[in-house]
Amino acid sequence: MKKPQRSGPAPSAPIGTLAAQAAEALQQGRFKEAVDLFKQLLRQEPRPDWKQSLTDAYRGRARTLAAKKMFKEAAIVLDNTIAPDGTLQDPMFYLHCLLRDGQLQKAAVHALQYIGTERRLAAAEHAALEALTAALLMAVPLRADPARPIPAERTRWLKLAAAAREALAAWVAGASAEAMEPLLNRISLRSAFRPVRLLLKSLISTPQDAERSRRLLLEAIPPGSPFLAFREAVEAAMPGERTLDADGWHRLTPVQQAFVTEARGLPAAAAQFLARSAEAARSGPATLFGFLLKQSDLPRAEIRSACLNLLPQIPDRLAQFEKSFGPLTELERSRIQALAAEARGDWGKAERSWRVAATALGDGHEDRQARLSRGVVFRHLARLASQHPEIEGGETLDDPVIFYLERSCDADPDYVPAVLDLIGHYREESRDKDWHRLADDAVRRFPDNSAVLLQATQSAMARKAYKKAAGFAHKLLRIDPINPGVRRQMIELQVAHARKQMRAARPDLAAKELAAAAEWERADAPSALLRIAHALVELRTGQGEQAQARLREGVALAGGGVAGWFRTALEAELMKLTGRDAKLLHQELGRARATPPTREAVMAVVLTLSQPDALENKRAVAGLLFGMRTWLLQAAAIDWPPTEFQALAETLTRFEAFELLHEYARAARRREPGNPDWRFHEIVARTQGDAARLSMDEMDDLMQMAVAAAARQDFHAAARIERFLGGDARMPSGRRRRAVESLTDDFDTEDIQTQVAAMMDTMPKGMTDGVRELVMAFGRDRAVTHMIEQFRASAPGGPDMPEPVLRALCEAMVAKAMGGGLPGRGSTPRKGRF
Amino acid sequence: MRDPFTVLGVDESAGDAEIRRRYLALVRDFPPDHAPDRFREYRAAYEALSDERKRLEMTLLHTNAAALSRLSMAAVHAASPGSSRPTKQTLAALLAEGIMRTVTD
Repeated sequence: MKKPQRSGPAPSAPIGTLAAQAAEALQQGRFKEAVDLFKQLLRQEPRPDWKQSLTDAYRGRARTLAAKKMFKEAAIVLDNTIAPDGTLQDPMFYLHCLLRDGQLQKAAVHALQYIGTERRLAAAEHAALEALTAALLMAVPLRADPARPIPAERTRWLKLAAAAREALAAWVAGASAEAMEPLLNRISLRSAFRPVRLLLKSLISTPQDAERSRRLLLEAIPPGSPFLAFREAVEAAMPGERTLDADGWHRLTPVQQAFVTEARGLPAAAAQFLARSAEAARSGPATLFGFLLKQSDLPRAEIRSACLNLLPQIPDRLAQFEKSFGPLTELERSRIQALAAEARGDWGKAERSWRVAATALGDGHEDRQARLSRGVVFRHLARLASQHPEIEGGETLDDPVIFYLERSCDADPDYVPAVLDLIGHYREESRDKDWHRLADDAVRRFPDNSAVLLQATQSAMARKAYKKAAGFAHKLLRIDPINPGVRRQMIELQVAHARKQMRAARPDLAAKELAAAAEWERADAPSALLRIAHALVELRTGQGEQAQARLREGVALAGGGVAGWFRTALEAELMKLTGRDAKLLHQELGRARATPPTREAVMAVVLTLSQPDALENKRAVAGLLFGMRTWLLQAAAIDWPPTEFQALAETLTRFEAFELLHEYARAARRREPGNPDWRFHEIVARTQGDAARLSMDEMDDLMQMAVAAAARQDFHAAARIERFLGGDARMPSGRRRRAVESLTDDFDTEDIQTQVAAMMDTMPKGMTDGVRELVMAFGRDRAVTHMIEQFRASAPGGPDMPEPVLRALCEAMVAKAMGGGLPGRGSTPRKGRF
Repeated sequence: MRDPFTVLGVDESAGDAEIRRRYLALVRDFPPDHAPDRFREYRAAYEALSDERKRLEMTLLHTNAAALSRLSMAAVHAASPGSSRPTKQTLAALLAEGIMRTVTD
């Protein structure tokens, strides 16, 4: 292929233009181009500032190459910047490049150039350069060339290096402590070779020498020193208080381990074992496994344990293992198979193997260890199920996470985190009966656990068992007196009671409820809601002055302006406050709307609308939102962060303010056309949250968005789209199943199953493969949805087939294709995952 | 993280008391102000083994090199320390390793 022509200036460009272009290239980091340009300039006129710029361009280019690990090339580029005295501006960087390229000899020669010169280096860099030079001279012997005179300081360094090397060689040759002393005395303690003297001094110290003095000698070699690796090896080799343990051994590099082995004078067999096992470990688990099997002199149980721990990486060696050590237990075998399956991402096999392992652990009624182990295995399966849609769980299509968490709690009922986890999943899946049952059971068994008490409080509140909730909350606050969450919830609950009394025209009882609510409030965390509610009750009972003061306080606490007055107006709606008082509040809200909207104010409105009573009074809220329309439309122009936009969009969808949502989505798309989230909300707004109104193009867009979201692991976006496609964008995921269940109830399930079973018997092989591919690509539930759409679009009887029959058929096809049985009677579709 | 049994140098069957004793001994030798990285590693290993369920999780759901370490240690402690001298080659490699560490760290 022809190389593209370089876009550089013509050589005939005027010198001023060339200089400007060269400076710009250097400034913008186009170093290669800058080098060429400055070279051209210098050929025309050797100005000193251009020479310096050329050096800078070379250095920049070298750094670019070094960043790409092209150290050899970087060193070559830097060679161009070497001054006539043999030095350059950034010696440490040059040495770095030479060393990374393995050019120790050249680095040593270059490093020596700086000894005895007047190069101005920062103190720290100077010290580092000297330390590195000393280490290099120890590793690479250099001799002065009598033909080429060098500065006296450099000669002194070479003599010191020779003395240090001689001392080291004498020690290696076995010189005694007495013989070593004069050799050590030749190494100046004020020179950069001091570490060599300290290391040798500690190595020749006798066992009688105090451990502390040896440690002091070695600690004088600081971290960052090129002699640190040597120091660590000496520390590990020397006897002392800290006997070398497994951790210390594994912290050593192979070279340091070799030093320790040799310095300790290990028997040949032991040294060989260490060397070969380290080598085998580097070659991989199979080599190490083979090496260990051959070790007949070592404890058999330890060899077995070491090999057993390698098997998950090399499951093909199971037979060899059993031949050497006898048969594995069922638990060992299935555990190894499960771990091996996990390692290769075969989640179906991993699940099956872990279940066999759990069974092998037995019922474990007597054996605590076995019970806890089963709990561990089931919790692990629940964790895997939350991450991998291939994990099936039980026979039905119930949520597999719940399926395994339930089993984990059965096996190990005393493990509170699993109980809380299960409660959370019941709530998420809207299995309210199970949630309340487990919360009651948990609080009976763990009455002093604050997390359990919080769950029990929430469960009681959801069941409107106020006294029970209050009892749990009081108990929780005795354990955890601050707990703002439970305090807020209790205030909200009691305010909800007060609203009911107000609607029933019993402001006296409402006032009592609010007085009781005040007990939950902390003086340092006043509640806006409580103050506003109190003020409205007082307005109704004619305590105008007191009400006004409390109202102002409440509005300020709620954020003031629109945020505060919107909250007050909503509260008035929920209490059915009418007449002059209500009119005044609306006037206040109208005045506040004169201020342009801010992000904070809009989000405060969104937060106000998220309370349960607002959701239950959609008509009242819709009226309020209509009054806020113009103000909210102005806020569409704000550049919303995605999380805030999402909360806002969900609120608008929930209250069916689709026109507003459309404006927000359109404005967001204008700002950022490529963001699929905005397109999604635009579609939701256009279809008014009803997937049945989707056009084919919109359907295609959503499908693509879902797949793309899943690919980038944005599971929230994927689930959001799925939720919309699967039914109602306004319905949380857990609720959806109920809707489908109730729809299915209209049909004779047995009939459906009979029809489906007959169809399955004749399902062609090609179709099975196609379905399997779909499941792999989209996950189980999405595959079912996709197939339903395909049937509707193409199968002759498809469009007329009732939804439950079509869904059951598609689920059965998926089950058959994935090698499972048909879904059982009364099974419910699983919450989909992408 | 390396497996916690090897980091703390305890057997897979060690109990709460033994693990705690070993952890405290290591932390005494390598306190956080002198060896912060090492301390963090010991702390994490102790956290991972500090109760029965966590230990079971470690032994069931993970592999470890504890047995291999014990075998290595048995070999390392097979002779009295300091009774021999390393080779020139090992020393040269050790010096080169120290130099390379200054440019790769």
